Amino acid sequence: MNNRWERVSLSQEESERIFRKARSFAGDVWFRFRRKPTALLGLILALLMVLFGLIGPFMTPYNYSQQETKLANIPPLMTVYPGPDDSYFFVTEALKVIEVDPEGHLVRQLRKKEDDAKHKQTSFKYDDDTSVVLDYSIKPYVMLDEYGQRIEQGVRKWNASHLLGTDHLGRDILTRLMYGARISLMVAFIAATVNMLIGILYGGVSGYLGGRTDAIMMRVVDIIATIPLTLYVILIKVCLDDGLISIIVALSSVYWVDMARVVRGQVLSLKNQEFVLAARTIGSSTKNILLRHLIPNAMGPILVTVTMLIPSAIFMEAFMSFIGIGIAPPMASLGTMCNDATEALRTNPYQLFLPAIAICIIMFAFNFIGDGLRDALDPKLKK
Amino acid sequence: MNKDVPVLRVQDLTKHFPAGRGKVVHAVDNVSFQIPRGKTFGLVGESGCGKSTCARTIIRIYEPTGGKVYLGHDDISILSQKELLPHRQRMQMIFQDPYASLNARMTVHDIIAEPLRAHGVFASRQEESERVNDMLAQVGLNREHASRYAHEFSGGQRQRVGIARALIIHPELVICDEPISALDVSIQAQIVNMLRKFQQEQALTYLFIAHDLSMVRYVSDEVGVMYLGQLVETCAADEIYATPLHPYTQGLLAAIPIPDPKVAREKRAAGLEGDLPSPIDPPSGCRFHTRCPHATERCKAEVPSLKDVGAGHCVACHLIND
Repeated sequence: MNNRWERVSLSQEESERIFRKARSFAGDVWFRFRRKPTALLGLILALLMVLFGLIGPFMTPYNYSQQETKLANIPPLMTVYPGPDDSYFFVTEALKVIEVDPEGHLVRQLRKKEDDAKHKQTSFKYDDDTSVVLDYSIKPYVMLDEYGQRIEQGVRKWNASHLLGTDHLGRDILTRLMYGARISLMVAFIAATVNMLIGILYGGVSGYLGGRTDAIMMRVVDIIATIPLTLYVILIKVCLDDGLISIIVALSSVYWVDMARVVRGQVLSLKNQEFVLAARTIGSSTKNILLRHLIPNAMGPILVTVTMLIPSAIFMEAFMSFIGIGIAPPMASLGTMCNDATEALRTNPYQLFLPAIAICIIMFAFNFIGDGLRDALDPKLKK
Repeated sequence: MNKDVPVLRVQDLTKHFPAGRGKVVHAVDNVSFQIPRGKTFGLVGESGCGKSTCARTIIRIYEPTGGKVYLGHDDISILSQKELLPHRQRMQMIFQDPYASLNARMTVHDIIAEPLRAHGVFASRQEESERVNDMLAQVGLNREHASRYAHEFSGGQRQRVGIARALIIHPELVICDEPISALDVSIQAQIVNMLRKFQQEQALTYLFIAHDLSMVRYVSDEVGVMYLGQLVETCAADEIYATPLHPYTQGLLAAIPIPDPKVAREKRAAGLEGDLPSPIDPPSGCRFHTRCPHATERCKAEVPSLKDVGAGHCVACHLIND
């Protein structure tokens, strides 16, 4: 054997080689983000909600404001009565009889043939020969065929015409959910973007200039933050007209204080680091130092704050719409849908649960994303 | 430019920081020295003696409380930051911590090109790229490294990126703020030799800050010893080893580890004792009198001035000056 301890000569080129895979900051964050299942789930849910809100309205035959009062309050899962020729009947709350085909589509409303007030019976015409009778002399009412035989109820059919049912004005709930999600996400993203811009600018300037400027700017933030933000939003909203833009204005003008504080803290801790001092000795402009050195390095906490701000903005919009100072009807918002549904909560709970579930999903999704981002952006957790 | 004019002349430079409740930190007090073109001035002292503050005040990261800083003929201490901008090309700084001094969100190319962009040296990206690649080659890195981020490099490589950034606009004066103290010993030699190579090629002038006397002797032409914000002794680099005059310098030299245990045992007694007093309330008279083995009553009362005792060897000590 040769001498195993022989010196291996190393060329300059080789000794300077980097074996590690080149990976940008964003790539690194994504690598860690996708390894967290809840974060990935949140991202997928959020993307689905975005698709639901953006593309959904184009896929449905209904409109958010299109009313069909005779089809009001039809649930997604209907209990129907078997009728002739494979057809079914569904009796609405207003005691109207709707014909349902075997697939669950609502075909037509049966014409009233005769109303016998004495026996408390109403007969409906199915076709020229056959008819069905609704007997409301006993409670709950029963359906009789034309010979007076009671029709047993018992088949459950999925509502194929309105997948998630209709509300008290006969509007398609699925369609309104899509528009509601669209409004929620739009409000959230615009408010988050505006807040991010104002917060970064305000916090960045305050932190970088420091001293007296910082003290004054932060006292302004303190004053804004001492009064509950919800109160501000309601007051601003009362002064402005109803509608989407005023909600965005109300949310954007208040929620930036958190962002400003986060950015200021980051800038304060970063501005005395050597790479910022280096940029100053080089002679880089203040603008460049802020935009190329300080803010990119503070991006982690900024992103986390933004993703945490989105659910609170969504909730705020839903809340305002719920108490009636948000989106003006007939536009659908998750909040107005909840509000409309409270009146009929006992008979039609699905009308409240569906928009509530939608709000939950959106908020869960963004909270999960924020959580995942915070972990992914924390260099101390780097593996 | 006239060859006789020193590249950097610092005169009575003073920097005080407010410490709250009307108190003041005397970080740098009346420091004066000058560096001729192509020479290296080594500034040594304990941690917290004001070396880095002195450097940062010269390059105007901090605003000086008093004194003057001449860069060539120009007094840069009275200029506003805006007026100073064109002069920034003439002086650059190399920082201590190679991990903190490079922006983690920028590629090496962007880091090295930053001075070029800040001063608008090149109009086209292509020229800029060529210059950056050229600079990378000079510090022993190659063009593949340009697209990498700083965190992918080793400490020595990062420090070379820092050097490339400082030297790319051909400054006259480079302030090296402990450029090697965060590095491995083997890498230290590499970096120091690189700095010397650049000095010979481009006639650079260095202000070299360190707390390691043996390294300072190797790189410097002249050495200044700082104690609690004041220069206590300046002389040629070799002389400070041969004939250290100030008791503090003698103490510092005695603290250098000696490879031979026999010699080390004999010399141990001469080391420094006690801690650095607070710069908020520095001792009266000679600031070293609280730790000086030879201190007299006069040292407590009277401030010694830096006097030339012959052949450019200056000392601020009552015992020597008389």
